[in-house]
Amino acid sequence: MEGGIRAWKGLRAAGAPDAGMAYFEPGKKPEEMIALAWMLEEGSCKFYKEMGIREKSPEAVALFQGLWGDEEKHKSSLFEIYQRLSGKDSDPDFPRSLVALESGDDFLEGGIGLKKALEWSRGKDLKDILEFSISLEVNAIDLYIKMEREVEGKPPKEIFLALSNQERNHLKRLSAALEKD
Amino acid sequence: MGILDYFKPVSTWPPDRVRQFLDQKSPQEYNLVDVRTPKEYEQEHLPGARLIPVGELETRWKELDRNKPTITY
Repeated sequence: MEGGIRAWKGLRAAGAPDAGMAYFEPGKKPEEMIALAWMLEEGSCKFYKEMGIREKSPEAVALFQGLWGDEEKHKSSLFEIYQRLSGKDSDPDFPRSLVALESGDDFLEGGIGLKKALEWSRGKDLKDILEFSISLEVNAIDLYIKMEREVEGKPPKEIFLALSNQERNHLKRLSAALEKD
Repeated sequence: MGILDYFKPVSTWPPDRVRQFLDQKSPQEYNLVDVRTPKEYEQEHLPGARLIPVGELETRWKELDRNKPTITY
């Protein structure tokens, strides 16, 4: 249901912009999926980093800094797999040579523009930010499950499986914070 | 391919359509699922909604009748 229970009650929904997109399986080569995942991790990194700076409570700061750090590690893991598959030690064109970023803006899971998400987040309380972050993580789990299913080859399958498990852990941490808030 | 080419919209219903649907059907004809936290569910939820927090959906989806439409919020 659009807007959740707030919209049901006739209140203006506080949902994030464009939060109604899902990754689908266009059947591409592993390097391309890795590049897409890397770019979405990059968007999430920037979002969580900004939330870690903006939030005031030490618990929220620690949570978002932890998520930011984890997403950075995910980027490294994805790039390592890309190196193994492509046989390139370095690739200054990665990931743009594989996935175009037309608008120049970064994107988050679910195809949400980073700029739009950051604009939306201004003035929102922690509960809204946590709910939005939960939707990002749900989309990330969905993305990695689909990628693991589709990709061929053991190394990329293993990395996508590991990443989906780590995003599940993020979902648990965010849900626990929301329950506490 | 551009980054947005990898995504497609997920269809959602506005509250008025959900309200109309729920009014026209008996609770036995659909799954109504509240995916928020237990605390939020305790505070308020739609009549007849079952609580399955989003983090538990992956393991608990089998509790839902696949032959019935499912509405989540």
